[in-house]
Amino acid sequence: MAEELKYDLDLHCQMIMDDYRERKPLYEKMKEIIVPRLLTLVKSNGLMVDAVEARVKKEKSLAGKLALKGHKYASLDDITDILGVRVILFYADDVDKVAAYVGKVFDVDWDNSVDKRKMHELDSFGYLSLHYVCRIPKEMYEDAAHPEINEIRFEIQMRSALQHVWASMEHDTGYKSDIECPREYLRMLSRLAGMLEMADDEFVRIKNGIATYRRKVESLMQKGEFESIPLDGDGFKSYLSLRPFDALTNRIASINQAEVREMPMMPMLPLLKEMGMQTIGDLERFLRENEEDAYNLALNQLADTDIDILASTVSLQNLIIVAHLKNGGGKRALKHVYDVLNGESPHNERLAEMQYDVARKLAFMNK
Amino acid sequence: MTIEFKESEKELYVGLTGRLDTAAAAEVSGEFERIAKSADRTIVLDCTNLEYISSSGLRLFLTLRKEASAKGGKVIVRKINDSIRNVFTMTGFYSLFEMED
Repeated sequence: MAEELKYDLDLHCQMIMDDYRERKPLYEKMKEIIVPRLLTLVKSNGLMVDAVEARVKKEKSLAGKLALKGHKYASLDDITDILGVRVILFYADDVDKVAAYVGKVFDVDWDNSVDKRKMHELDSFGYLSLHYVCRIPKEMYEDAAHPEINEIRFEIQMRSALQHVWASMEHDTGYKSDIECPREYLRMLSRLAGMLEMADDEFVRIKNGIATYRRKVESLMQKGEFESIPLDGDGFKSYLSLRPFDALTNRIASINQAEVREMPMMPMLPLLKEMGMQTIGDLERFLRENEEDAYNLALNQLADTDIDILASTVSLQNLIIVAHLKNGGGKRALKHVYDVLNGESPHNERLAEMQYDVARKLAFMNK
Repeated sequence: MTIEFKESEKELYVGLTGRLDTAAAAEVSGEFERIAKSADRTIVLDCTNLEYISSSGLRLFLTLRKEASAKGGKVIVRKINDSIRNVFTMTGFYSLFEMED
């Protein structure tokens, strides 16, 4: 009673507050059902989600809402945002996809769900999100002791990360309409909203552009058109999926019947680029021209040792070493290779000397 | 081959002395299993007095590194000599470890 007086609410609103207190554990229970379901939903559909968060409205916040517009609500059931869930996505175009999934797995109250993104007048400001008012369907969860769990409505907000930034900033400034806002600041806010919307569109455009580029690289790779594929991160990754260095790695491993452990080849890409290779075709030629010498180098390194474990990168590492030595790079070039692979260190100079000593007896060094 | 341990809250110090050849690696594999239990922390493998490492020794290091990576810890390899550095580099495993002078 003391709490109700504190909020200074009329009898109708006090009854809503009582219902809220009684029902709060159910809202918490619903939160536990909904959030994991939504997380699974977005992740299993491959969407990049920044956060799925949920909150049950605090008592003080509800009292404030009722004090302002309690007469609008006949009962607690009419207040749909007591449980609010938010899905924040990296990309604006994923908001519609999540909405479609939400529409399939939850019971959506379409009469009360709004796409605020489409509500703006041409000259209005703001950058808003999509809200669905939902219920938990019985197929998802059912509890005979609490059948109301399938009746209580809750809100799911779906936003891009930038829409979320806008909503958070807007909430913080407290300005929601031009009536409250001095014209000067209204204009600044409008510019910002426009900029965020354009940035969201650009992020989607970049994402789609990269996806198209990767498809093109894959297609060229499948056709074997290596000369048309740039030697960049995507081209190299796609080329590696053909496992072009396996034959040489296995040949080197057979020197001591060594076990081969997989290691990423990606860190070697900068070394290949530095050597002037521009396309996957260049890389193919580099492999063909140097594989015999790379094998001979490995033979000299390993034959009189008991080393029977090797990283899968050993083939490409030796190819790079051999190519540098053939080009007259000497110890200095080898030190650079080790600086890139091992991190810069004075010890790399000694390593370069040791490798050079092994390599200088080989035929390719004496041509 | 001898192993010295010093344990603190933050790290497990492991001082290796001698030759970690195939026979020694078999002898100390139990000790390394014990070390792996601390793989959620920093493990310092001090190699100041380690003269030689064989493939079996390399496998012990690699297993430890894999455990640390899975448990959120890390393995620091301290002060290896030139020939051991050459083995790590030649086999392609050097960059897997945090090397310290």
